Order: sequence, then structure tokens, then C-alpha cells
Amino acid sequence: MERDKQRQIVEALILASPEPIAAARLAEILPYGKRKRVIELVRELNDAYAAEGRAFEIWEVGGGYQVRTRPEYANYVKQLNRVSALRLSRAALETLALVAYRQPVTRAEIEGVRGVDPGPILRNLIDRKLVRIAGHRDVPGRPMLYATARRFLEVFGLNSLEDLPTLRDLEELAAEVDGAAAPVGEPAPEPEGVAAPSPAAEIADAPEPSGELH
Amino acid sequence: MESRAAAPESGVVIEGPGDEAGYAVKLQAFEGPLDLLLHLIRLNEVDIHDIPIARIAEQYLEYLDLLRDLNIDVASEYLLMAATLAWIKSRMLLPPDGTEEGAEEGPDPRAELVARLLEYQRFREAAHELDGVWRLDRDVFAAQCPKPEAVPDAEREIEVGLFELVEALRSVLAHAPATGAAHELAVETITVRERMLAVMEALEQAPSLEFLQIFEPPDGRPPHRSMIVATFLAVLELVRLAAIRVYQGLDAAGVPTGPIRLRAGADVEDANWRERISELM
Repeated sequence: MERDKQRQIVEALILASPEPIAAARLAEILPYGKRKRVIELVRELNDAYAAEGRAFEIWEVGGGYQVRTRPEYANYVKQLNRVSALRLSRAALETLALVAYRQPVTRAEIEGVRGVDPGPILRNLIDRKLVRIAGHRDVPGRPMLYATARRFLEVFGLNSLEDLPTLRDLEELAAEVDGAAAPVGEPAPEPEGVAAPSPAAEIADAPEPSGELH
Repeated sequence: MESRAAAPESGVVIEGPGDEAGYAVKLQAFEGPLDLLLHLIRLNEVDIHDIPIARIAEQYLEYLDLLRDLNIDVASEYLLMAATLAWIKSRMLLPPDGTEEGAEEGPDPRAELVARLLEYQRFREAAHELDGVWRLDRDVFAAQCPKPEAVPDAEREIEVGLFELVEALRSVLAHAPATGAAHELAVETITVRERMLAVMEALEQAPSLEFLQIFEPPDGRPPHRSMIVATFLAVLELVRLAAIRVYQGLDAAGVPTGPIRLRAGADVEDANWRERISELM
């Protein structure tokens, strides 16, 4: 089968999938498809979109491909949806970060770091499907364990937990916290500056932790 | 709810008593005692490994006083930290020698606090970074097809053969109470006609019924054998009249699966079944 045709089929499948679709699944459907070929084709699609200046690109999130609009159009698309974006307070983000990096983690462990009882925030994060209960720890009291849910990867555009930004080294931090080194105001960095965008073209080579979506 | 102390959203500025010559209190919202402490350390431009506990503790308490003046409830975790600071301060005042251990110098009483501050700082930063990531439905939007609606069983049905129907009847009979001959009482006669009407009535209430369901008498007792037989004959009769259809779902491989169900026949709405059944039977 011609490569152009294959590329178009992959494009159609990604567009028509109700949720991020894994490379392995695409390879199943694509005639003469191999996972490796699918990854190549997706990269070609993204290259073409970029060359043509399209307003969207293919992302790889939570182990699957999804077409997403480029961030520069956010202000317009927001007006279309009228659904308030997922707003997360600083407390919610801190709790989420703790769950993400320390998972599976207990409520007491989160409280230990933040100095504040995370109960209500955890419940809220579970309601929003960002955090899930991942069983109990086998110690007296059998405390519940919290972990990030699949939705967390999708919302934050991560392909897997390994794509989380690395935690800062404590020594390095200590040097910075010391007085004058850090500005008081804590300027919020521009999203572009911080985010390692994960459109699939850039990370498609990364080994996928699991081929299946579920 | 999230931080009971300085509860307003971060960045909120609470103006102090405005009449006092430009006096305004800038009150930042803190996410807990550690957050507040880190702020004070920065403000004082001091070394985190050598925190002047007395000064920081004093400022910390001033802040709590300020909250009280503003009638904001100070959450218990802030008070706990105040106590911890006071404890560290007292330990620092003790002479390094002459203590019970007798060793040269015990560990720095501030060490544990410093470790907690750094650990918290680490996650505060991680949270900040997470917030900067392009987020779905805030910065980027997915082009998504809606999930196709689940196909109801009825759309993939097959008609049920007599054999399956008899099989189903057997399982109904198996669950019916055995009728001991000696105790047989002619309680009431159940007619096929009655059962036909009952099935049709039930199908007016629900789009479809499970086969086993129609054998249950309305009073919830286990069905009597005569009831089961009459009902089964009623079902056969209704099928013959095309008043109902009996079907079963198919699984993905095309194998009949799931319970056998009944549904009203195609033109049952406009027909007056009550009359027609009465005529026939």
C-alpha cells in the first residue's frame, strides 16, 4: 500500500477516535501497518501540519495519539466552548504534584510535606478524575493510597509519568531559597517557557510503556 | 476550604483601614505554615541553613496576629508551627554543653524544619511547573469524535427459536416450588387469556421485558406451575399473533447471548389488543 494512503488512514483514525488512540491499535487497523511505521507516519503528518501552518497537531498523551489545537489559538477556542477550563488552585496543584511524584502516596505523607490536611483537595481531585485511589498500604490502619489517574496524563499532555519534569535537586534548591538569590515576587513563567510541549513528533521515539490504551 | 488561614485566593490584596494616611496591608494568601515561613525567609534574605529563629518566629506570630485582627480564623496547623518555632527557639537558647547527653554539640534543632521547608519548596516549585504545562481545555483543545452510543441489544437481536424458548421454560419450572400432590389446592384458575393480557399490559409499561420476568406474579410469590404453563402458552400465542417478538442479543462474534427478551410487535400500538385477545380466546 502506498505510503500516502497509509498516512491518510492514520490521520482519519486519529481524528475519528473518541479518545487518544495507541500506535499499536493503529497498526492493527492499518493495512500492512507496523507500530514503527505508524510512529513514522504520525511524525510525517505533524511535519506536514507544521509546514502548512495548520492550527492543530497530533499529540501523544497517555500512550495514545490525539489531535489538538495549537496553544496560540486558545483564546479563540475558549470562546467557542464556553466551558470553564479546568481550574486548579495552588493548593490543588501542590497536592497533585505530590501525588504525581510520590505515588502511590498516603494522605498523611502529603500532609507531612504540605503541612496542611489534603483531604478536601484530594476528594476534589478524585471527582475531577485526576487522582484515583490505588488501594491500601499494608500497614496498621491500612491507609488509602493515592495515584494519578489516566486523565491526569491527558490533561497535562504527558505521554507517561516519565515525562513529568524532573524534581529539583534539594541542594540546588537550598542555594536558591537562600535570601537574595530568589526574587520575592515569584514571576509566573510563560507557559511556552516552561512546558516541554509533547506533540508527538518530538517524543515519538520514546519507548511506549504500554501499547494498549486500557 | 483549601487554606483556612489566609483563605482568599492567592494574590488577593486586602486593604487595611484606608483612612490612615495611605496605610494598606498587603496580605498574601499562604498555602499553609510552610508556605508562610518560606515567604518570611525570602523577605528577610537569610540563609535557609541558618535561620534566625527568633526574628522569623516573631514575624510569624505578627502575621498570625494580623490574621486575627482581620477576623480570619487561624487554622490549627499555623498554631502548631508557631509552637514548633517557639520550641526551636528555646532549644537554641540552651547552652550547647552541660546538657543531659554530654556530647559536644547536639544536632541543630532547626535541621528538621529546614528539611521540611526544602521538601515543601520542592513541591511548590513542581506545582508551579505543572501549572505552566500546556493544559487540555485551557491551552490546547482536543479534536474529538463523540463516543458512538452503545448499541442497544434490541438492535442486534435475533429471533429466538422454539428450542431456546422451551429451554428457558425449563429453567423457570426448575425454580418453581414443587407441587406436592397431597396439598394441591385449586386456588384459582389462571387462563391463557389472562396471561396474554397481563403480558401485553406489562409491555405497555416497559419497552421490553425479560422472559423470566413475566412469570413472576404481581404479589412477588414464587410462580405456581399452572401460572408458568399458562404464561408460556400465552407467549406462544402472542408470538403467533405477531403481537410480541421474542429475541436475544448477539455478542460480537454473532453468538446469541444474554437473557431472552420480549418486545411488543411492530404494529401493536394502534391495535386494540384487549379486544382482539378477547375475541380469539
